[in-house]
Amino acid sequence: MAMVDVQGVRKLYRRDSQEITVLDGIDLQVPEGEFVALMGPSGSGKTTLLNLIAGIDRPTSGQVIVAGTDVAQLSESALAGWRSRSIGFIFQFYNLIPVLSATENVELPLLLTSLAKKERRERALTALKVVGLADRAGHYPRQLSGGQEQRVAIARAIVADPKVLVADEPTGDLDSKSAEEILGLMETLNRDFKKTIVMVTHDPRAAQRAHTQKHLDKGVLKA
Amino acid sequence: MKFLPFILKHLRRNWVRTGSTVVAMAVCIFLFCTLQTVLREINAQLESANAARLVTRHAVSLVFDLPLAYGARIQAVPGVKSVANATWFGGSLPTKKEGKAEGGDSTTTDWSKFFPNMAVDAEPYFAMYPEFQVPPDQFRDFLGDLQGCAIGRKLADKYDWKIGDRFFLESFIPPYRKASGPFEFVVRAIFDTDTGKYPGTDTNVMFFQYKYLYEATGRTLNAGTYTVEIDDPGQAGAVSKAIDMLFENSDGQTHTETEQAFRAGFIAMAGNLALLLNSIGLAVSFTILLVTANTMSMAVRERRTEIAVLKTLGFSSGRVMGLILTEALFLGVLGGGFGVLGSQALMSVIMNSPAQAMLAGVGLSSLGIKPAVGLLGMAVALFLGLAAGLVPALNAYRSRITDMLRTV
Repeated sequence: MAMVDVQGVRKLYRRDSQEITVLDGIDLQVPEGEFVALMGPSGSGKTTLLNLIAGIDRPTSGQVIVAGTDVAQLSESALAGWRSRSIGFIFQFYNLIPVLSATENVELPLLLTSLAKKERRERALTALKVVGLADRAGHYPRQLSGGQEQRVAIARAIVADPKVLVADEPTGDLDSKSAEEILGLMETLNRDFKKTIVMVTHDPRAAQRAHTQKHLDKGVLKA
Repeated sequence: MKFLPFILKHLRRNWVRTGSTVVAMAVCIFLFCTLQTVLREINAQLESANAARLVTRHAVSLVFDLPLAYGARIQAVPGVKSVANATWFGGSLPTKKEGKAEGGDSTTTDWSKFFPNMAVDAEPYFAMYPEFQVPPDQFRDFLGDLQGCAIGRKLADKYDWKIGDRFFLESFIPPYRKASGPFEFVVRAIFDTDTGKYPGTDTNVMFFQYKYLYEATGRTLNAGTYTVEIDDPGQAGAVSKAIDMLFENSDGQTHTETEQAFRAGFIAMAGNLALLLNSIGLAVSFTILLVTANTMSMAVRERRTEIAVLKTLGFSSGRVMGLILTEALFLGVLGGGFGVLGSQALMSVIMNSPAQAMLAGVGLSSLGIKPAVGLLGMAVALFLGLAAGLVPALNAYRSRITDMLRTV
C-alpha cells in the first residue's frame, strides 16, 4: 500500500463569482520510503497538492490517503493531531519562532505529546545532532545562517518521528552550498531513517536528488 | 504549564509594548481600586447613620448657627424623642511658633493633627448613639468635669492617650477661639464600638461638653446643629417638615434631614461624588480596554505566520486560541497586580501624611484596600485582558493555515 495515495483529487478556489481550478483530477501514489520531487511552473498547483498531502488543506473532491488515513474525513482537531504525529513540514523560509532557541524550536511539536520536559529536551538535542547542529542548540534563529536555520527546521520536522516529510522548496532561499547540504541531509533522512519525502522544487538539480520526479502543469499531473 | 515558558517568551519579545500595556492596565486598576475604596468608605459612613436620627441645621448653610432656644422648641414637636446640641468645634492640636514675640499668639494650628471633634449636650447625645460604648464610670467622670472629653478608641491609640491625659485644641473657627489660648481638655472617657453590629462607625473622634465651649467664649455662642432622635423612623419626613415649619417665619430658618442625608451632603458637597467617581472609573477602564485590545491585535497580527506554523505542527485551533488568551490574561494579571499594589501604596502614603487629617475631617479616618476591592480589581483586570485578547484569539482560531502562510 502506498504511503501517499492521492485519488482523483480536484481543488477549486472561488474568487468572487469566478471558480478557479487549481488541481484537476490528480492521481499520485508514493510508496513508503520513496523520495519524490514535484516540479512545475508557478501556479501549476505544486504547493496546493503538497498542502493537501500534509493535511493543511482539504480537496474539493477526491481522496487523499496518507499513512492509511483519509485526511479529508478527519475533523479539524483530529486533523491537527494527525499532522503532529504523521507529518513533518519543511518550509521554504524555515519559519522558525524567533523568540525561541534552536532547541526550543525543535521541541515545539513535542509539547503536544505527554513526554516529560527532560525527555522532550533530550529528543530535541538528538534531532539537532542528526542535522549536525548540536553545538548550536542554545542559539536563536537570528544567530544562525540560512542553511543552519533550515537544518533546525528539518530537526523540528523529524523530532516527532513522522512517517512522511513534506518540503516546500526547501532550498529556494539558500545559496548553492547550503542547498547541497540540505539536499544531502534529506537524502540521509530518506536512506537511513526511511522517511517518505515529497518535495516541491523549481530547481532541476534539487529534483535530481529525488528518486522520482513528477511534473505538474495547470493542475494536471504529467507522466 | 508546559506552554508557560512559550507564552512568557512571547511577552518578552517586545518588552516596550508589553511594559506599556501592563502600565496602562495597572493605571486602570489603580484608579479603580482607589475610587472603589473611597466610595466604600463613604458608603460605610452613610450606612452607619441611624434612620431614627435627624439633623437640624441652618437653612442657608452649615456656616450659620441656630439659637440655643430652638432646642426646647424642637423637643416639643410631636414625634421627637430627644434633642442634643451638636456643634462642630474644628479644633486641632496646636504647635508652638518658633521665635514668636511674647504677648502675641504663641501657637498656630497643626493641620496634620486634625481629627473630628464636637461640642455636644453630652447626656442626650450619647443616649442617642448606642454605637459609642462608654464605660458607665468613665461617662460619669466625663459629665462631672467641664474640661473632660470622651475620645474614641482609634483616636486614643493614635496619640497614645489614656484616662487623665491632658491636651490642647484650638479651633480654626474664630468665634470658637478664646483670648487666653487654646482649650485644655482632660481625657475622662474612652469609648469603643461593636464593628460587627455597627460597621462603619468611626472612633477617630472626640466629644466634649458644649457647656465648656459656651462658658469659655463668654456665653455668646449658638448651636451649630441639633441632632434629633425621633420615635418612629417611618415618620422622619413628617417630623422634619414639622420642625422646619416651626421656624419658617423666623430669622434662623432651619433645614432638617436624616442623618444619612446630612452626612452625604457633608461628604459630597460638590455633587454626586459616587456618580462622578464611577464615571471616571468606567471611562478609564473602557479606554484601557481599547488600548489593550489594539495592542493584542497588533501582537497577533505580527505573528500570523508563526500561528500558521504552530497549526501546521499540529497545534489545534483551540489550543492556539488558548495560548493567545492566556497571554492576554497574563497581561491582565500583571497589570492588575501592579494596580492593586500601587493603590494600596498610595493609601498608605496618604494615611501617613498631613492629608490624612483632611480626610479624617469628613469621616474617612482609615483608608486601605479591602480584600473584596482587591479581588474585584483583579477580576476587572482579568476581564479586560480576556476582552482585549478575545477578538485576536478568535481571528487566529478561524484563520486557515494556507491563508496565513501566504501573508508576509
